[in-house]
Amino acid sequence: MSILTLNQATIKFGGLTAVDAVSFELNKGDLFGLIGPNGAGKTTCFNIITGVYQPTSGQILFNGKNITGTPSNKIAQLGICRTFQNIRLFQSMTSLENVVVGGFLRHKSVLGSALMYLPGAIKETEKLKGQAMELLQMVDLADVANTRSRDLPYGKQRRLEIARALATQPQLLLLDEPAAGMNPQEKMELLTMVKKIRDNLGVTVLLIEHDMKFVMNLCERIFVLDHGEEIAQGPPSEIRNDPKVIAAYLGEAV
Amino acid sequence: MKEFQFGKWFSVRLLSFVVVLVVCFLLDRLVQGSYSRFLFCLAGIYVTLAVSLNLINGITGQFSIGHAAFYQIGAYTGAVLAANKFSNLAATKPFLWLFLSVIFGAIAAGIAGFVVGLPSLRLRGDYLAVVTLGIGEIVTIIAKNQPVLGEAYGLSAVKIQSVFFVLVLAVICIAVSRNLLKTAHGLSFLAVREDEIASSAMGVNLTKIKVTAFVIGSCFAGAAGALYTHTKGFVSPTDFSMDVSFLILTMVVLGGTGSITGTTIAAVTLFVIPEWMRNIPYVQMGTPLGVGIGIIAAVVLLRKVQEKFHGSGSKRLGFNLGSIAVGGIVAFVMAKVLVMIPALQSMVNGQLFRMPVLAITLVVLMLLRPQGIFGHHEFSWSWVQKLLGKKPVQEAEVAV
Repeated sequence: MSILTLNQATIKFGGLTAVDAVSFELNKGDLFGLIGPNGAGKTTCFNIITGVYQPTSGQILFNGKNITGTPSNKIAQLGICRTFQNIRLFQSMTSLENVVVGGFLRHKSVLGSALMYLPGAIKETEKLKGQAMELLQMVDLADVANTRSRDLPYGKQRRLEIARALATQPQLLLLDEPAAGMNPQEKMELLTMVKKIRDNLGVTVLLIEHDMKFVMNLCERIFVLDHGEEIAQGPPSEIRNDPKVIAAYLGEAV
Repeated sequence: MKEFQFGKWFSVRLLSFVVVLVVCFLLDRLVQGSYSRFLFCLAGIYVTLAVSLNLINGITGQFSIGHAAFYQIGAYTGAVLAANKFSNLAATKPFLWLFLSVIFGAIAAGIAGFVVGLPSLRLRGDYLAVVTLGIGEIVTIIAKNQPVLGEAYGLSAVKIQSVFFVLVLAVICIAVSRNLLKTAHGLSFLAVREDEIASSAMGVNLTKIKVTAFVIGSCFAGAAGALYTHTKGFVSPTDFSMDVSFLILTMVVLGGTGSITGTTIAAVTLFVIPEWMRNIPYVQMGTPLGVGIGIIAAVVLLRKVQEKFHGSGSKRLGFNLGSIAVGGIVAFVMAKVLVMIPALQSMVNGQLFRMPVLAITLVVLMLLRPQGIFGHHEFSWSWVQKLLGKKPVQEAEVAV
């Protein structure tokens, strides 16, 4: 069953067509990779899907429902959440607080109850904290739950972003270069973690990544973008040998 | 995970409720003399104003510099209603009227906050600052030109000075801010301050949060305004000039943007120091010079402590307080010595030093502690226990 469909999605910034008639379909439970050279329009694709930008033309369907032009926060409520290429954590808040904010959209108490510190709000907050702690354990950050996120090393910040996105209980998770700046050891851990997220939580994952080894190992299907246009789509084995992809991005095997 | 215990929650609430009421009532009895009562009320009003602005500027990160506008709307609402529709009630049952006046002031300012906030909070940073500055001016100018609002002369209202009301309002304002920060709702307010794009991607409705913060902040400013009207018994447009907006803003920044404790302390300090200095009519030249030398000594020492010493909180606090104490002693001794020098014995008007001293202190503080007195920190019981050397009760601790 298709969970996300991009139908001829196009966005133009003045004279520049950043994403040109891109169409692809993600099925439930996919591990889908989006690759391409710098400036190919990968992050712009993410921004269109999550409602940061509105596509100039074309449609985005989520679970069969047209979500084109829906604001960011509504899209998160529908079940699409993302991480950012240049980490965007809430820097002066602790790891735990970061993840609690992620869970906030599913919480139920009203503002008035929070302002008066009534049991409803306290219980909801405690519940969110409990859920956040579980997520932190999953990404192996439980020991830094009360550390300010800006004080965390780079690799941990990336993992915290994933935990925060998972707290929104998404059906579809968009990861923008999750392995950037990680060492080989950390990349291996991340790979296992992403697989675990898909297998255990049933979350569909769409990811942008430049580390080919990482993408080829992790993703079951890959979409290659160059100058905003699709140049190939298919399983890693095909992509690896596609002459167009080799010319545009991968380079000749040495 | 910490279990929620209703009994404990209820008893702590009830106890703090009773304690606050009793303390406010006692202070109401203790503070005597019309001038002291007036100052005490104003200090409380400024605490409310600063803490409510902190909700907008510090916690939600929306740089508003027109807070006096909502203060003024509250004040004029109280004054106009007391003069016309409710003049009977105000005369017969002053405290009931004071209560109603606070409510009306809060509602009027809250509505104004909503109307102003909805369009302007889409702007960010400097642009929002300019818009709020403009609103502050617009409200003052309307008041100056409307016959109903007394034009430039202002309005007189029945004088009902109540330290109790002022204190309770300040406490409610502080409690609301603190409650908010303790719950998930407050964290989403903070998230908006930290990163708008990320919080929006996490499903936080930016407009809703910003407008909510703005409306709550405006409500408290309006309530404070209504109390101001009846504390002074008179309102005029000059009471709500741009200076007032900036004074409130300074309180927030000085106390530590986002810190309720810091804002409260800064509000009291910034209000009391200039008022206290009003009472110094004439001084010999030597005195301010000596005080100046003392301040410099304290600053130099504080710098040295900060460079040399990276210890735990309590020791560090001790060293900092020590430096300030040494500065104070130096100031005292130097002032006593310098007045003996004949060349410095000429008299100068003490009022001359009132504002410059405040300005210099602010500059020095901002240089030494750009994050404000408290930074992002808050007063908490576990912090007190840590200072006393006991093992702190980890409130934020979660079972791993």
